[in-house]
Amino acid sequence: MADLLVLLLLLGLVAMYGIDAVRASTHILNLILVLPVMIVIAVLCAAQFVIDLKDFRQAPPPREPVRQVLPVMLLFAAYVLSLQWLGFDVGTFAFLCIFLWLHGERRLRWLLAYSICFAAVTTLLFAYMLPYPMPMLIFDTAY
Amino acid sequence: MIDLHALHAAFGMLFSSGTPWLIVVPGIVIGLVFGAIPGLQISMAMAVFLPMTLYMDFMHAMLFLTAIFTGGSFGGAIPAILMNIPGTSTCIATAFDGYPMARKGEHNTALGIALGASCLGELFGYLLLFMLISTVSELVLHVGPAEMTVVIIWGITLIGSLSSGNLLKGLISGLIGILISTIGYGEAGVARGTFGSAYLLDGVPAVPAMIGMFAASELFRLARSDFLIADSEKRVVSMRQILAGLRRTLSYPIVVLRGSLIGVFVGAVPGVGSSVSNLLSYMVTQRRDKHPESYGQGNPKGVVASESANSSSEGGSMATLLALGIPGGGATAVMLAAFAMHNITGGPQFIREQTDVVYAIIIANFSQAFLLIGLGLVCIPLLANVVKVPMNYLVPSVLAMAVFGAFGLTGDLSGPLTVLIFSLLGWLFKRFDYSVPAAVIGILLGSMAEDQVIYLYQISGGQWTYILERPVAIIILLLLVASLFGNKLLRLLQRKISV
Repeated sequence: MADLLVLLLLLGLVAMYGIDAVRASTHILNLILVLPVMIVIAVLCAAQFVIDLKDFRQAPPPREPVRQVLPVMLLFAAYVLSLQWLGFDVGTFAFLCIFLWLHGERRLRWLLAYSICFAAVTTLLFAYMLPYPMPMLIFDTAY
Repeated sequence: MIDLHALHAAFGMLFSSGTPWLIVVPGIVIGLVFGAIPGLQISMAMAVFLPMTLYMDFMHAMLFLTAIFTGGSFGGAIPAILMNIPGTSTCIATAFDGYPMARKGEHNTALGIALGASCLGELFGYLLLFMLISTVSELVLHVGPAEMTVVIIWGITLIGSLSSGNLLKGLISGLIGILISTIGYGEAGVARGTFGSAYLLDGVPAVPAMIGMFAASELFRLARSDFLIADSEKRVVSMRQILAGLRRTLSYPIVVLRGSLIGVFVGAVPGVGSSVSNLLSYMVTQRRDKHPESYGQGNPKGVVASESANSSSEGGSMATLLALGIPGGGATAVMLAAFAMHNITGGPQFIREQTDVVYAIIIANFSQAFLLIGLGLVCIPLLANVVKVPMNYLVPSVLAMAVFGAFGLTGDLSGPLTVLIFSLLGWLFKRFDYSVPAAVIGILLGSMAEDQVIYLYQISGGQWTYILERPVAIIILLLLVASLFGNKLLRLLQRKISV
């Protein structure tokens, strides 16, 4: 069932892109690659759909439970999405602290020291190396 | 023809004082460091240190920049092998087998092999450049959209080989990758698939997408493990094994030679370079092997094929730069800036009038290949210690580095957001048996393919038979057919002969 849903999701996304591309322009230069590729994807998805449908009653292959991966994904998403407000300095520090705590690190001093050092060194290294300003909360945005 | 007088003068320039070698060593180290940190590109390192070359003469400036190039070409293999993060698009194929080797506890061997293949590739690349500089530059002038389209189609056929057992899902993944690469403004001047987001107007940034799909999605899974290598006895950094890996490269001379040839000729084509050459070399090696199914599972030949091709493409791109004054990619574009800073214009006249300087650059690069072995052997044991770091520290640190690197590549938050979105997509692909490498190749080659197909359409007036009027395109097409069906045809012939 899940395989079928993923296939339909991918096909749906491809169709959405196709509609958007055709709406943008029907000029041959716009669709010269996009349209043939989409048609081939649709044909391949149809073939895969038939295979998945045949296997529908079979037991799905063993997969890692989603709940094991979900906390890491959510934490990573929160880190990336909060960079705009927390900046790279505080955002990275908070991400490391929470991650380490969630994964069993209970030596508070060590946890804080590592998070502060890693966040500070990496942030300053990139801030000095990159030619554009970085979002920051404590450090300067440009060097 | 080799100009012996110029060759003699070149030796004089290089060996009359120690100054050239004082410049080369820090250059290689800078390249190694920038290559080894995902997100810090070789071209970025060269751009950062370009102002320093103002105070050097032209030859020293070129030696310094090519040294960074050389170090960076190998440096990218280190995170690709140890963390499945191909920091640059030039070492995607290195991760295909290098990372599985590391997971099996063969990280020392894999790094040694990568170092050996890089050095040999560099040597072959510059040797070919030394002998064929004028031929290569003339050949490049015959490469147009028709030839490029065939080269890219060749690269795209790799998608089929990376389907990991499920061909249909592999093809779907690769084609979705191609579609992703066409998001944003296209050649027709209209924006597609942006859904109103200004971040997507320039398209999906390929390297952050690649980091997300390959590395971040894998790190989500690894977060529950204790160490990168489960077996504690294999979790050692052994100079003996690194050296054994280095020697092992020599047992694959055909793979090195083939990779180097592909690297030089594809690297010489402006705009394509090492991003495609490592994939092509990997694909051809896999197809010609007796056990193609062992690729992607930790076959050392995969690492050799990729590293020899991406390192030798430096020689190819230098041929185009020196002989035509055309940069093949970001790194050679920075070198072109160094040309301008020293009031020098690359081209046939430059090669004719300053042959000694050209030879000096080439000979210095031979030596750089040997210096790279020494410096690589110093750096690898330090960097390989990453296998001893517990995963609860390694995973968040690498994820954070990936985010910093992605920001460094795009200059805004679209890079980190791309890593996030593609890490989720990569996880979904892996979970449901869609091929992540195929999708990444699609992303990498798709936009190139669209550009070349459009140029071909415009030049040929829509007559696709135009390809068959181009001799170089026909040769490449025949090579493509041979790489796809050569083994099967040979077996068929052998069967017929034996009957």
